[in-house]
Amino acid sequence: MAKPNLINKIFNSGPLFLLYFLSMSEVDTNLEKIFEIFSFNLPIIIIYFWILKRPSVLGTGHIFLAGLINDVVMGSPLGISSLSYLVVCLFSNYVRNKSVNTTIASDWFTFLIALIFANLLFFLLLNNFSEIIISYTKISYNTFFTLFLFPIFWLIFSLYQSNFMSSQDA
Amino acid sequence: MSVSRDDFSIAFRSALLQRGGAQKFSILSLIILALFIFFLDVYGFKAVKMGRSFINDVVFRVSYIASSPSRLMPNVGKSLASHFNLKEENEKLKKVIENYKSLDLNLEYLTNENKNLRKVLDAENVINSENIVNSKNIVLAKVLIDKNSPFLKSIIINKGTKSGIRKGMPVSQDNYLVGRIVETNYLSSRVLLLTDLNSRIPVTFDSNSTQAILTGQGTKNPSLEYLPEDYELKDDINIFASGKDGIFVPGTLIGKTDENGKVNLFVDPNQLSFVTVNLVSLSKERF
Repeated sequence: MAKPNLINKIFNSGPLFLLYFLSMSEVDTNLEKIFEIFSFNLPIIIIYFWILKRPSVLGTGHIFLAGLINDVVMGSPLGISSLSYLVVCLFSNYVRNKSVNTTIASDWFTFLIALIFANLLFFLLLNNFSEIIISYTKISYNTFFTLFLFPIFWLIFSLYQSNFMSSQDA
Repeated sequence: MSVSRDDFSIAFRSALLQRGGAQKFSILSLIILALFIFFLDVYGFKAVKMGRSFINDVVFRVSYIASSPSRLMPNVGKSLASHFNLKEENEKLKKVIENYKSLDLNLEYLTNENKNLRKVLDAENVINSENIVNSKNIVLAKVLIDKNSPFLKSIIINKGTKSGIRKGMPVSQDNYLVGRIVETNYLSSRVLLLTDLNSRIPVTFDSNSTQAILTGQGTKNPSLEYLPEDYELKDDINIFASGKDGIFVPGTLIGKTDENGKVNLFVDPNQLSFVTVNLVSLSKERF
């Protein structure tokens, strides 16, 4: 197998950079200024898609660390984002083990289950063990828009994968 | 039937424990580690608090640097636009100067009137509150991170316990209240904004000095709760901090009521760049 050159390595690390960048920068996917209830969770889409399609680009250790950084920046209890990210990762791994060929529709359906579990865990832990109050309607809207936008990002990431990344080495 | 159950358990076990390639750690071990960290943090062990405080300072600085491209890009656009509109801007500035001149005259008039009214009033509490406002116990801080989370509304400022900041201290911009300190590190602090769902501020308003609690809704406009029975809220009434909690300076302006019974804040919480922290003496850290 040919050794990937530097450009390929950079393109292969794109999803990981994006995940870290979203965790630590001010760039957010909370677009309340456009539409009052509009927010979605892009890191979860990134994790689900890339663990499903090409697990070699996102290590679980990086996912855990990105979650911790996100908690520090957001001010939520340490470890809660890591947990929800890892739950998504677990579902994605499971789907990858169980299926040979996936379609956008099957990925969308399994993503729904992963997303519900991840957000349920996030909400239950915060509600029962922390003093922070969060609105369940906001979480519901966030879940809805994340699910709704999944196919769009699925197409974008698929295009990125086919055009910019080296052949599958997983 | 037993075959499909075996399939499930094999696939699940593999997903949970699989390592290799980029996956240096199994998901199970990381989930256990994340749960361990979560409970240590939630139950507030001292070592974890200190560790978190240190991590916060480091991450906030890195995050500030990481956010600089997104912060600089809109400014580049603005400076280009202003460069092309210099003449227009000059005309506008001339008008602004004229306005300021007239405001200056108004200010002189109001200052004189204020002096006369003070002589009449002889209100000790007013003088006390002015002493707090005019004292040097104010720290100017820069907003490091303004990440607009859908669930938590807070900002990070670049001053911490080193500058004397403690939990509970009020934060304002242009003398309008914007929130309070909820987390302190050595070099940075977190400010809980008035719009956050966890924010509760005792306020007073109207000619009868009606008392209420300003409650964040997680949206742009907080609402007033615990109003007197049968109270009809009118729009365009100024809302002030009542200072009943002993934290906020009485009379600090917050916002105005609107026709929906919500409060329009004088300061847009999404547009904060510099804020002031009032170093009021608190008998105990509060949150």
